[in-house]
Amino acid sequence: MSQLKVKAGPSKAPLSPWKSAKPEKAKKAKPAKVISGVASLNGRWGFLFVAPFFFMFVIFGLAPVIYSVYISFFHWDPLGGSTFTGLRNFNLLLHDSDLWLAIRNTFSIWALSTFPQMIMAIGLASILRNSRLKAKSFWRTILLVPNITSVIAITIVFSQLFGRDFGIVNDILGFFGVHHHIDFIEGVIPSHIAIASMITWRWIGYNTLIFLASMLAIPGELYESASVDGASKRQQFWYVTLPSLKNTITFVLIVGTIGGLQVFAEPQQLAADGGSSKQFLTLTLFLYNQAFVNNKYGYAAAIGIIITFIVLIISLVNFVITRKISSDGSR
Amino acid sequence: MLKKWRVKGTVAALAAVIVGVGTLTTPAKAADPVTITIWTFGDVIQRQLVQEYKILHPEVTLQIKKSDLDPLNGSNMVTACTSSTGPDIVAVEVSYSGYWRSYPKCFQDLKQMQTSDANAAAGIPAGQSASDIQKNYLPWRWDQGVAYNGAVIGLPTDVGGLEVAYRTDLFKKAGLPTDRKAVAKLWPTWDAFIATGQKYLAKLTKAQKKNGMGFIDNTGTIYAAIMNQGTAKYYQNDGTETGKLIYDTNPQVKLGWNTTIKATQSGIGTRIGQYTSDWNIGMSKGTFATILAPAWMMDYIKAQAPDTAGKWDIADMPGGGGNQGGTQLTIPSYSKNKQAAYDFLTWYLAPAQELKVFKTYGLFPAASVLYKDPALTGFTDPFFSNAPVGQIYASGVVKLKPIFEGKLERAVDQAIGAGLGRVAAKKMTPDQSWAQVLSDLKKVVNN
Repeated sequence: MSQLKVKAGPSKAPLSPWKSAKPEKAKKAKPAKVISGVASLNGRWGFLFVAPFFFMFVIFGLAPVIYSVYISFFHWDPLGGSTFTGLRNFNLLLHDSDLWLAIRNTFSIWALSTFPQMIMAIGLASILRNSRLKAKSFWRTILLVPNITSVIAITIVFSQLFGRDFGIVNDILGFFGVHHHIDFIEGVIPSHIAIASMITWRWIGYNTLIFLASMLAIPGELYESASVDGASKRQQFWYVTLPSLKNTITFVLIVGTIGGLQVFAEPQQLAADGGSSKQFLTLTLFLYNQAFVNNKYGYAAAIGIIITFIVLIISLVNFVITRKISSDGSR
Repeated sequence: MLKKWRVKGTVAALAAVIVGVGTLTTPAKAADPVTITIWTFGDVIQRQLVQEYKILHPEVTLQIKKSDLDPLNGSNMVTACTSSTGPDIVAVEVSYSGYWRSYPKCFQDLKQMQTSDANAAAGIPAGQSASDIQKNYLPWRWDQGVAYNGAVIGLPTDVGGLEVAYRTDLFKKAGLPTDRKAVAKLWPTWDAFIATGQKYLAKLTKAQKKNGMGFIDNTGTIYAAIMNQGTAKYYQNDGTETGKLIYDTNPQVKLGWNTTIKATQSGIGTRIGQYTSDWNIGMSKGTFATILAPAWMMDYIKAQAPDTAGKWDIADMPGGGGNQGGTQLTIPSYSKNKQAAYDFLTWYLAPAQELKVFKTYGLFPAASVLYKDPALTGFTDPFFSNAPVGQIYASGVVKLKPIFEGKLERAVDQAIGAGLGRVAAKKMTPDQSWAQVLSDLKKVVNN
């Protein structure tokens, strides 16, 4: 029985879980009517329904963006007045070593938090997918708990774990023979690892669930046929599961990159100035400190614009990669 | 009488406008319900006294909003002042007084205010302006609440003071004297303090050293102590509004920097950052034998290391006198309840109340009339081996001299603090680090 079904599967349909996961055609008839009802609203009423969002977006989204572009051309002290300085802020900024430090730190923390996290999340998801696992909902729910915990609380607990003299992490390392106490604040890479671990802790559950959802959408036939062909569990993972997750991996990477460029609360809580050598000063922390500590709003606005350009470049790279992946998939 | 607002000829036009607004929104009579919003941090506003005021004035609701110091005295106050909306009272820490005294337009000049008869029963006569109560307070501490144009923008709550808190049991083990007078004689100067630290280190076992034990918690704190013992910090009063920046030429800065580096390199410090979990644990474990402690830190030590009760004592500072921290309470120019706020301030900061706060919470009063009061000088603390803490801190703070503060005070302090941190972490040589401090500050000043 199952053999017959399976044989048709992989040979015709490529490894695209989405298509085969769609509901059968017969069931489509009823919801189609409802959709057409909603669609009729798309005309005049549609604008009314989306208006609140755009109203808010213009006030709290677009207007501040335009305003900050404007003030980036000024020496802008909210209490001391402002003077037009043209491109001076940008010129100073590009010669400011702190900017390059912040870029380095941001990307280092991003890499340290994204990639290990992704590998661990896929691993956790494949454990959770196991049909023999008991109390599935419990495990799935508990994974999200770190995500709803306050960042500040996480940072306070983690900075105690990473304490130089009495931190548990150093105690554990000592147990494994590393008797040199690592300073997780002063060191460049150690501090990045500490911050990356906080981010990983917070987001790993969320990403696990995303991976789990798309793993569950992989049609069982693929695995059945793979096992018929004699593939071991490991081979099934490498040749069935992982390729099917390609789109999800791209999604998690994009979301992770957006989050990575916004890392702020963790380093800020660790040391508000980003460390004595600015070893964990991130781009957003740099911006915040210039605006709200040094009262250099124009300079901070210029940093914001530089961040926008960085995001644009990354988006472009993302776009190219995503397109390449999707064209690979349709081949 | 109650609503009288006098405008003195010398006050700037802007202040006149503010007072004008004040007259328009005539303050409510004592019986009318009024809500005073207070922005504060830490333990500046003590709950027990708030309760007391509630009993005195059931019509007054005190709404207290606590934040972290830096956002509070930085961006929150900047936003409030630019938008002219905000609280009726704000607590300003002395590290920010240099910044805010550059912006008197954000505050009500308290010389223009007069107490109503609301607290006459509590011993505060009506008709008292800030000039009338000035004599009650420590002069240099009072000056920290005076704007560059002479307007009184803040009344002092407490003065930090700074003395050496030390562990008598650890001193005894190291063969050092334990009596506070004899201990103070060990370190008349900072060099002597460092030498004492080295003596202490020599008595430690190898295992103790390996566990990170040291003489003082963090040598970086020596810098701030030395800076406050001078007569000038980063600014020179050259008669202009802002003063002249002298951080790169002032010999006191160099002295503070060099002495701190010397202490750091002698290895007497544990390099534990203050207010970290390592510090809290180290305090009860005896990882360090001394802390340069402002009066308000006594309460913190008691809370963090309750098991060490009776093992601490307090001795005079090397170099004579010291201060770290302290707070002013200000009334912003945009407050709509200035009269009620001022009546509360004059009650809350009256010597009688400051004495209560000191006895219960350890915040040392800025009201210098108390320094001769036996209720203060006779006050001892069993946690600190019955040291006469009132007398010790009082004798320390009166030794200090006024220092002209400017707008970038806090920024300069932080840049130099980071520089000392780099040397302590052995990331840079002292010279490299100082060069970095100068280039960082150049950016802060010029960009």
